[in-house]
Amino acid sequence: MTKIGLEIHCQLTKLESKLFCSCKANYREFEANHNICPVCMGLPGSLPRLNQKAVESATSIALALTCDTPEKIAFFRKNYFYPDLPKNFQITQLNVYGDMSVGGEGYVSVEDKKIKIRRIQLEEDPGRIIYEGASERTKITLVDYNRAGTPLVEIVTDPDFESPRQVRVFLNILSDLLENLGVAEPGLEGAMRADGNVSIEGGNKVEIKNIGSFHDLEKALHFEITRQQSLFERDIEIAQETRHWDDRRKITVSSRSKEEDQDYRYFLENDIPWVTIDQSTRDRLKENMPESISSKKERYIEKFDIAPQVADIIASDRYYSKLFENAYSDDNAKDIANLITTDVIGFIDTKEKQQNSKITSKHLSDLIDAINSKTITRNSAKVALQEIMKSGKDTKFVLDEMDLGQVSDSSEIDTIISQIFEEEKQAVIDAKERPETVNFLVGKVMQKTKGKADPVKTLELIKSKLNQ
Amino acid sequence: MNLNTSILKYIEDVKSGTFTVEEFTAETLQRIKDVDSDVHAYLSLNDSALNDAKLIDQKISSGEKIGQCYGFPISIKDNICITGTKTTCASKILENFIAPYTATVINRLQDEDAVITGKTNLDEFAMGLTTEFSAFGPTKNPWNLDYVPGGSSGGSAASVAANECLASLGSDTGGSVRNPASFCSVVGLKPTYGLISRYGLISYANSIEQIGPMTKTVKDSAFLLNIIAGQDANDDTTIDNDNVNYLENIEDGIEGKKIGIIKEMTTSEGLSSEVSTATKDAIGDFESLGASCEEVTLPTIPYTVAAYYTITSTEAGSNLARYDNIRYGYELESEGYEYNSYISKSRAKFGPEVTRRIILGGFVPSAGHAGKYFLKALKVKSKLISEINKAFEKFDYLISPTAPVQPFKFGEKIDDPVTLMLLDYNTVTANLTGKPAISVPYRVINGLPIGMQIMANSLNEKSLFQSAYALESKTNLPEVPL
Amino acid sequence: MVDEEEIIRVAELMKIDLEEHGEHVSRVKKMLEYFDILDQIDLSSEEITAQQKSLNELRKDEFIPNDKKLIESLKNFREHYVRAPKMN
Ligand SMILES: [Zn+2]
Repeated sequence: MTKIGLEIHCQLTKLESKLFCSCKANYREFEANHNICPVCMGLPGSLPRLNQKAVESATSIALALTCDTPEKIAFFRKNYFYPDLPKNFQITQLNVYGDMSVGGEGYVSVEDKKIKIRRIQLEEDPGRIIYEGASERTKITLVDYNRAGTPLVEIVTDPDFESPRQVRVFLNILSDLLENLGVAEPGLEGAMRADGNVSIEGGNKVEIKNIGSFHDLEKALHFEITRQQSLFERDIEIAQETRHWDDRRKITVSSRSKEEDQDYRYFLENDIPWVTIDQSTRDRLKENMPESISSKKERYIEKFDIAPQVADIIASDRYYSKLFENAYSDDNAKDIANLITTDVIGFIDTKEKQQNSKITSKHLSDLIDAINSKTITRNSAKVALQEIMKSGKDTKFVLDEMDLGQVSDSSEIDTIISQIFEEEKQAVIDAKERPETVNFLVGKVMQKTKGKADPVKTLELIKSKLNQ
Repeated sequence: MNLNTSILKYIEDVKSGTFTVEEFTAETLQRIKDVDSDVHAYLSLNDSALNDAKLIDQKISSGEKIGQCYGFPISIKDNICITGTKTTCASKILENFIAPYTATVINRLQDEDAVITGKTNLDEFAMGLTTEFSAFGPTKNPWNLDYVPGGSSGGSAASVAANECLASLGSDTGGSVRNPASFCSVVGLKPTYGLISRYGLISYANSIEQIGPMTKTVKDSAFLLNIIAGQDANDDTTIDNDNVNYLENIEDGIEGKKIGIIKEMTTSEGLSSEVSTATKDAIGDFESLGASCEEVTLPTIPYTVAAYYTITSTEAGSNLARYDNIRYGYELESEGYEYNSYISKSRAKFGPEVTRRIILGGFVPSAGHAGKYFLKALKVKSKLISEINKAFEKFDYLISPTAPVQPFKFGEKIDDPVTLMLLDYNTVTANLTGKPAISVPYRVINGLPIGMQIMANSLNEKSLFQSAYALESKTNLPEVPL
Repeated sequence: MVDEEEIIRVAELMKIDLEEHGEHVSRVKKMLEYFDILDQIDLSSEEITAQQKSLNELRKDEFIPNDKKLIESLKNFREHYVRAPKMN
């Protein structure tokens, strides 16, 4: 049986400042080395000052993942030399004097399976090394420390996954959850990263590092499982080791660095006192936590009778669920939900488009009102939506401006039907013989009226004309 | 003009117009010129000191609001950062390091109109007890230039003793303020851990070290502590002291107080007969002041030096890892080197003692050895804290000589590492427990000083000063013969 | 007994070049041997403790831009990047 475990790192980019200084947590908008200070550069004499909200955010994540949260947390130094580490140690957490990282054991349910979370810890991100061209030829290394000190949460799972597909489902659930909590933006490049470890029946555990994206993680896991299986079949021992994902060749490669031999000399970071988090604080964090995706989904299904797939899509995306939550009333919830999943999503399918869209919840409820009162057709609503997203203008104004009012006057529709009957003689004959082909004629009327004709009335009128 | 004056007397004289700040500063700078080529207390001087003094005079004459320091000259150990000036830690590796920010203690002094004379010598990165480990040559003891001034804040102690300033700030990791204070006959305080911000103090062993004032009198020490103590947003380990005024009631005396004489520190093998005699005299003085003295035993003390060196080298090994010469340091072109060989080459600039402590710091907390050394050292610390807390339930103060011996000649002890370590025997307890301790000049025998150490419970500096002042009033010491 | 080979290996990990400093090894060894005294004390009932602070006393999450010129006051930069030796 294949066993896969994960180590996920997620930046808390929703914070204003870094973990130990007042530089910006989201370093992405800065010129190289312009988001640094004596603290995150580890200048002699500088001291870390722990960010209260970072501890709170990390604790919220732990609570959301049903982890135990301790009364006291401690920080440790992980000592090793690397050019992206300004102090040549990383401030992180460890559970050697009892459970003192922000989160202990918890779990996530993935399709009826419980994936156990081993621990959650808060730590600082290192800086970034810029690799110019082929590494064999570069004479120096360039370093940008803007990222150094960005708050990072590490989530470690037990080796509970049985397939790369399960890993993918888990990561989707996890990134939705982190985004829903409002602490992270997993969509930002490099904001969420994962390393994996793989073992197959009878083999040693192999760690895989240096994986750029979740997409690559899945590929790396597949590659590694295949590699291990083929070794196993040939009776070759699977060595316990760390392998790096080679993005160019799409394979895992044994690490030359003796990472297994590294002695990190972990010991307490005494510049940061142990932080006490009392029960009332943990209760407050729990209370202030946004509704979880799963309970939101359940609520949508039970209260509004929304289809499970529709409820799932809306509940797991903060943008859609916010649109929905502010638009619905007891009578139109289902319609709003369907409008979002059938039409809105088609237009706004990326985070960037979500950010640029000018649509509001009011637009949605106005559109549903207009459809239900037969002021416009469903088709016209779709046309109007597109315009509203761009301009953000009032719904009524857009409907008038684009002349989208529904045509429900019988004589007007009748005139158009007569024209169509002239133009589509063969179709009329077909429809008389096989009534199920009538939709073709309805479609033609819609085309001619740019979707404004009342579809119910149109069908009625065509049917009666066919029977004449 | 008498440069051998206290801060408090100096302030009175400036207020009454006896002399101006500029006059006193100029005289001090002249004194530095005259004697520092012999003493070598300073590593660098503040070029704008005289100008700073003039500006304070202008403030005074124009009736502007003036800080409590009235421009008294103070020197600063060269491991404390001041914007735009060199902070070397007496190390070749930081020879050209210009700090881009200022330590909290310096900001507080400057806000109160102190004039900084310059940066003083130390054992490299504050590791040592003699200043012989300074990369820029040792400081001499003003009482006898053939003798060590103690360390690691030897330059600070010597600068005060030689009247090259009125006070200094040192740092104390295992006695680095108190030991040189004792050797140079000045007052040296190691406050409660967290009382003074360490922001801007270049870390050696951050879990136990503190900045401390070094002054000519106990009252001056209290005066300086008033200015630099208290919580700092830049240092999470600082604690609230409720804005205590340490000078207030300092003359209240110690009548009825209970004093514990630490047995392990007054009967140890390494104690010299002069120091032993002086200690007996001091006990007599305390009793004549109305306190009752009794021997107390803290059985963990014999293990403290080993624990201290284990903890400090572990922290130093980590704190000094950042000196890889990549972001700051000295000029050494990186092109053509591979990373590991470059930083190993750069770190060859560390002096011998620092090099050894770094190696120790790699050894004692390593996965294979932490159980034998580092974790035990932390537990010795815990055990010692329980013991001393118990002692403070009974006693107001715990006393001992500050150092087991008087100053010795250069080169005398540098070759035996264990002898050197044991010089810290009486001082490391205050650091490992976080308790405040003060060294008070008590005797000068054969032309060389002896200091007495008084310890009090956490945050009891006010009471500590009362006892130190009482003991000081019993002494009548000669002037430095320089 | 402390193994001198191991001291040399640890020195290397700490990026200390011992080539010309053989005397350091024997001196470090002497210090380590002195530390053996720690084997003689009973510490079985001791726990490791540290200073404590409550969550709400910590730094508030606020972005305060630092002096943009900090990088220029340091050494070894190219354009805005810090130059480090090449990795192996
Ligand atoms: Zn910063």
